[in-house]
Amino acid sequence: MTTPLPKRIIKETERLQSEPVPGISAVPHDDNARYFDVNVEGPGGSCYEGGVFSLELFLPDDYPMCPPRIRFLTRIYHPNIDRLGRICLDVLKNNWSPALQIRTILLSIQALLGAPNPEDPLNEAVAKQWKENQAEAIKTAREWTEKFAQKK
Amino acid sequence: MTDIQERPHKKRRFFVEEEAPVQDTTLPTEPTLPDEVIPETNSFNAHTEQQLLGSFDADTLRAVAGCEVPDSTIRSLQGRFGTDLEQAVNAYLDGSWKTPSPQKRPVVSSHSGQQPIAFRKEPSNAAAGTTSNHATSSKPSSPPPKPPALDAMPKKRYIGALGVAGWTTRSGNNLLRPNDVVKIERTKQNMPQKLGRGGKVKQTFRKTQDVIVRFTNARGEEIGRLEKDTANWISSLIDQKVCSFEGHCVFAPERIRTNDTVYIQLRCYLLKQAFEASNFIKPLENNRETGIFEAKETQDERDLRLRQIGLVKLFSEINLQPSKVNETTARHKREGILQAAEVAEQYDQSESAKKSKPSSPQENGGSSPPSEDAAEEGEELEQDQLDSLYKKAQSFDFNTPEAQPADTFVMDLRKYQKQALHWMLNKETSQKDEEKQQSMHPLWEEYLWPAKDAEDRDLPSVTGQHCFYVNPYSGEMSLDFPVQEQTCLGGVLADEMGLGKTIEMLSLIHSHTSPEQQAAIDSGNMDSVNSLPRLPKSSANVERAPATTLVVAPMSLLAQWASEAEKASKAGTLKVLVYYGSEKSVNLQTLCCEANAATAPNVIITSYGVVLSEFNSVAAMGGNRGSHGGLFSLDYWRIILDEAHMVKNRQSKTAKACYEIAAKHRWVLTGTPIVNRLEDLFSLVRFLRVEPWSNFSFWKTFITAPFEKGDFVRALDVVQTVLEPIVLRRTKDMKTPDGEALVPLLPKTIKVEKIELSTPEREVYDHIYARAKRAFNSNVEAGTLMKSYTTIFAQILRLRQSCCHPILTRNKTILAEEEAAEEAADIANGLGDDMDLTSLIERFQADEGEQDASKFGAHVLRQIQEEAEMECPICSEEPMEEQAVTGCWHSACKKCLMDYIEHQSGKGELPRCFNCREPINARDVFEVIRHEDEEEEEQDGSATNALTSAFDLDEDEELYGNTQRTSTKSATKTPRISLRRVNQLSSAKVAALLASLKRIRKAEPNTKTVVFSQFTSFLDLLAPALTSANISWLRFDGSMSQKERARVLTEFASRTQFTILFLSLRAGGVGLNLTCARRVFMMDPWWSFAVEAQAIDRVHRMGQTEAVEVVRFVVGGSIEEKMLKVQERKKFIASSLGMMSDEEKKAQRIEDIRELLS
Repeated sequence: MTTPLPKRIIKETERLQSEPVPGISAVPHDDNARYFDVNVEGPGGSCYEGGVFSLELFLPDDYPMCPPRIRFLTRIYHPNIDRLGRICLDVLKNNWSPALQIRTILLSIQALLGAPNPEDPLNEAVAKQWKENQAEAIKTAREWTEKFAQKK
Repeated sequence: MTDIQERPHKKRRFFVEEEAPVQDTTLPTEPTLPDEVIPETNSFNAHTEQQLLGSFDADTLRAVAGCEVPDSTIRSLQGRFGTDLEQAVNAYLDGSWKTPSPQKRPVVSSHSGQQPIAFRKEPSNAAAGTTSNHATSSKPSSPPPKPPALDAMPKKRYIGALGVAGWTTRSGNNLLRPNDVVKIERTKQNMPQKLGRGGKVKQTFRKTQDVIVRFTNARGEEIGRLEKDTANWISSLIDQKVCSFEGHCVFAPERIRTNDTVYIQLRCYLLKQAFEASNFIKPLENNRETGIFEAKETQDERDLRLRQIGLVKLFSEINLQPSKVNETTARHKREGILQAAEVAEQYDQSESAKKSKPSSPQENGGSSPPSEDAAEEGEELEQDQLDSLYKKAQSFDFNTPEAQPADTFVMDLRKYQKQALHWMLNKETSQKDEEKQQSMHPLWEEYLWPAKDAEDRDLPSVTGQHCFYVNPYSGEMSLDFPVQEQTCLGGVLADEMGLGKTIEMLSLIHSHTSPEQQAAIDSGNMDSVNSLPRLPKSSANVERAPATTLVVAPMSLLAQWASEAEKASKAGTLKVLVYYGSEKSVNLQTLCCEANAATAPNVIITSYGVVLSEFNSVAAMGGNRGSHGGLFSLDYWRIILDEAHMVKNRQSKTAKACYEIAAKHRWVLTGTPIVNRLEDLFSLVRFLRVEPWSNFSFWKTFITAPFEKGDFVRALDVVQTVLEPIVLRRTKDMKTPDGEALVPLLPKTIKVEKIELSTPEREVYDHIYARAKRAFNSNVEAGTLMKSYTTIFAQILRLRQSCCHPILTRNKTILAEEEAAEEAADIANGLGDDMDLTSLIERFQADEGEQDASKFGAHVLRQIQEEAEMECPICSEEPMEEQAVTGCWHSACKKCLMDYIEHQSGKGELPRCFNCREPINARDVFEVIRHEDEEEEEQDGSATNALTSAFDLDEDEELYGNTQRTSTKSATKTPRISLRRVNQLSSAKVAALLASLKRIRKAEPNTKTVVFSQFTSFLDLLAPALTSANISWLRFDGSMSQKERARVLTEFASRTQFTILFLSLRAGGVGLNLTCARRVFMMDPWWSFAVEAQAIDRVHRMGQTEAVEVVRFVVGGSIEEKMLKVQERKKFIASSLGMMSDEEKKAQRIEDIRELLS
C-alpha cells in the first residue's frame, strides 16, 4: 500500500484505541493498517452472551465512500450471517454512509447479534429454524457459542 | 487593335499595310514639334547663352545696394554667386561675401520631401522668421535661392550615344539614308474612340502606357518608330523632359518598305530642366500609398518610377559609369533598382487585386492578435534573421560615456541608463559637423560630363561643371554636390522591455531643453510677468512649442507615463498634461506656443487614438492644422512614440497620422523595432525622417526587393547599416564586462499546469470537437475548405473557449465578439445550436434563484455554526475544509460532500444525505461563506466596492441578519456567514485557479497575483468565483475608460493584502508595469507564446524584486495542448497573417487547423 493512509482512518484507529467501546476491540495489522482484527462480545441477555466473536475488517481504497468489508471468522448460528461469516446488514450495503465509522458499524453488528432478523435472512436454513422453532434455534446458537466462541 | 505600339509582325505584312492608314487616322499627320527638340545648330548658341547667363547684371546690383560698388567686388560676387543676383545682394550687404569659404548650401532636392502632402503648406517665412532669432543648433532653415550652377548649365548637354533599331511605317525610295539626321519625338495620342459592337461609342482604355517614339525627317514626317523595348524607357525620358535625343541614321535600305528595320544612332542630351528641382516630383511623395486619401500609386509616382527606370537604362546603354559612388550602396546597385521597379509593378497589381476582393474577416473575436486595419506587407522574418539584425545594434559598448541627468530629475539612473542618456543627448544635439569632410549622400552617384561627342570631337566644357549627380533611386539629378545630411535628431530607443525606456526618456526630457524653455525658466525666476499666459497670435499656422515634449502611447499606458513623469521630477519642475478625453477641450496651441513657454506643459501625454481622431478632423478641415488648435497645431520640441510598434504598418492611418506631427526631435520607443517584417522598421524610419531611408522607393530597392528575392544576407546587411546609427538596444540578458546582468532580475519560473476536464465538461468539449472535425472533414471532401475556413476557425475558437468554461461557448458577449458572418455561416452549415449541445451546456448555467429565507431556521444556523468547528464526518478533517451543507443542513467538507454525491450517482444510486439519508440533489448543496475579512473589505476604497458590488449578488443569501452582522465586529469574532449554492458544474480551470489562489493566500498572505485571459467573458466568470472564495480582486480590460484603468492600477499597486488583478491579454499584455505582483496565472494559451511572454513580462520586469512564478493552465488532451505544440514550432497561424495572399493565408491556417484537429 503506497498511498498514504487517509487522515480519517488514522483518526478512527487512534480513537478505537484511546476510547474503546465496551465489548468491542479492533486492532489493525502492523503490515496493513486497513486490515483489522476485530473481537465482539455477544451482547448480554442474548443467546450469544459469553461468546467472543472474532471478525476480520478491511477498509477498501474508497473508504469511506464505500463501506468496510467485514466478516465473522468465528462460526456463529445466526439467520443474518452465513456459513462463510458474511453479514446481512443494511448499513454495510445500501444504507452505508460515509458518516458511519468502524466503531458504529461494529456496534450495529453487536446489535444484530442481540436482535436477529429472520425476515431478512442470509442463511435460509437458520432463518427457517428460527421462525419455526425459535427455542430450538436459540438453543443451537448457545451451543455454538459455547463451542466456537470462547475466549482463548 | 490593342497593340498599335507594337511593331507589326513581318508575316502579316500585307494586312499591316492595309491597317496602317487606320492607325494614321487616329494620329495627327503632322506631328507637333515638341518644345524640347532643339535644332542642332543651337549648341553653340546655348554655350554663349550660358556665358551671358553666367553673371548677373552689375548695374542692378549697384541699384539695389544703393551705392557704388567697386568692379572688383562685383567680379568677386559674380564669381561666387553666378547669376544669382538676390544672393549676391544679400552677401554684399551683410558682408559675408568677404569670407573666403564658399557658402555651403543644402541640396534642395534632398529634403524637399519633408513637406507633408496632405496638409497645406505653411508659409515658409513663418517658420523661418521664428527660428532666425534664436541660437539653436538647427541647420540653416531658409533654403538658399536657386543654385547658381543651374544657370551656368546650357539648355542641354551631351552625355552619350547609343545605337537603336527602328522600324519604318512608310515605304518609298530614299526616304532615309545613312547619316541622315532624324528627329526623335513623342506624340501624345488621343484616346481612340471606337464603335462598340452595339454601335455605342465606348472608350478604350489602354492597358499599357503609350510609349511610341517616332523618328521623323526634316520635314517632320514620320518615317518610323523605335523598337518597343527601347521606346519604353526613351518615351518616359522624353515625356518628362529629362533628355532629348538626336537621331543619326546608321543604316537604312535604299528602298524602304513598311516595317523594314533601320538602325539609328541616338545622341542623348540631358536637358537643363531635368536639373531644376521644381520640375521634379518630390521624393517623399514617392512613399507609395502614404498619401492620405489616395489608395494607389499616383500618376506622379508612376512618372517618377518611369523616370528612374529610364535614367538607369539610359546610363547603362550609353555606358556612362559613375565616377564616384557611395561605397555602402555601390554593390548591386543598378540591378537592384530595376528589379525593385519590377517588384513594385507586380506589387501594385497584386495589391489592387487584393483590394478588389471583399476583405475577409481577419479578426475573429479573441482568436487572432490585434492588428492594424490595413493589411501588412512584406515577408516575415525568421527568428534567427531577427537575431542577426539586432546583433549589430546590440553590440553595446559598456564603456560608452555616461551623462548625468539634470538635477530636476530625481530618480537614480543605472549606469546603462546614463549611457542611454548620453547617447540620446548626442543624437539630439549632433549637428552637421562643419569640420567633417563632407561625404556624398549615399543615394547619389557622380558622373563626369563627357568631353568628346559621338564623333570624338571635343565638346564645349562649362566652367566649374565637369560633373553632375544622379540619384538613381529617386530619378533626381543635380549639379550640386549632394551632401549627406543628418536630418534625424532623434532615434529608436529599443531597449528590451523592462530596462526602463520610460525613465531614460524622462531623463532626456529633463536634461535637454530648448533654449526657449531655458530662457523661460531663467526669466521666470526673475520676472513674474513672463509667467502670465499670453494670447497667441491666432494663427492658422503650426506654432512652435519649444518647451513641450509630446508623448504618444497606447491608452493603457497614459496613466503610467503621467505618474512616472511625476515621480521622476523634482516637484514643480515638470508640468504634465494628459491630453485625453475631457482634457482635450484645451487649445494646445495657446497653451504651448512659444510666448507661453514658461507656463506650457512640458510633457503632453496622449494616445494613438487621439492622434488618429485629430488627424481625421484636421484632414476634414482641409488640412488646416493651426486653427484646429489640437495636437497637429504645434511643432514640438520633441515627440516620443511609445510602444512604437503600434505604428509598424506604414499604411495604417495611425502611422500616417504620426508621421505628420511636427517636432524637432523625434524618438520612438519600442522593445521590438521589427516585429516580424522589415517593413515594420521602415515605418519607424519614416516617422523619424531618417534620410534616405524614409524614401520608400529607396527602401524597397535596397531592402524589400532583395529580401523578397531571397537575397537575405544583402537585405539584412543593409538593414543593419540603417539600424546602427539610429538604434540603441540593450537586452535584459546582456552582461556587463564583469559578468553582471544589466538589471539584476530574479528568475521567473513558468510552469504548465495540466488541467483535467470534469466529465460533463469533457462531454461538451468532445461534442464541439466532433462537430468541428466533422465540419472540417466534410469540407475537405467537398473541397470547400477555403470557403468555409472562417466557420472552422470559429469552431476552433469554441473549442478553446470550452476548455475554459463550457458556458463561454454560449456566452452572449462572446457571441458578440464573434463575427456575425461566422454565426450565419454556422447556421448555414447546420452548425448552429442543436439540442444536444444546448442541453449539455445547460448544466453549467448557474441557477441564480434565490433561497427562500424562511427555510433557514435559527436552529439550522446554529447547527451550521456549531458543525463548522467540528471535524468532517467524511474525511475527519477538523475543522472541515470549505464547509458545505446539504439541503437537510448537514455539514461536511465541500469536496467530501461532492465526492460522495458523485460516488453515489456513479453507482446509479439516488444521492442521499450521508447523515439522514434524505435524498439530496447536487444542486442543493450550499457552500458556507465566512466573511472574515469583512471589516477590512469595508475599509477598502470605494473603487473596489463599486467594482465588486456588481458581482456581489449573493449577499442576499445572507444568513445572519443585521444583528449578527454587528456582532461580527464584537470580540466574539463569530464570523458572519452566508450560503451560496455550490455551482457544481463549474469549470476545471476555475477550480484550479481557486485552489491555487487559496494555497497562495495561506502561504503568502500579502502576495499580489495577476491573472490573464484572452476572453474577457471568462474573466466575467472568474471574478464571481473569487468573490465567493472571498478573494479580493480588481479588473483591467479594454472596455474600461482611461480613468478607470488608472484607478485600478493605482489601487492594485497600493493594496497591501492579498489581491488579484484580472487582465485581458489584449488590453494588459503590453507596456503596463505590474511589478508589485509576483505571481502570474495564464488562463488560456495564445497562438504565439511571444504574446504570453510579453504579458508575463508586465510582472517580470525591472523593478521586480522577487522571483516571479508563472502558471499556465492548459487542459490536457485538448486543443490547448496542441496549441502549445504549435507554439513550440513557431508555425502558428497568427504569424502567417499579413505576408501572404489571402488564399495562402487561408491555406496556411487550414494546415494549422488540420493539425489542431488531428
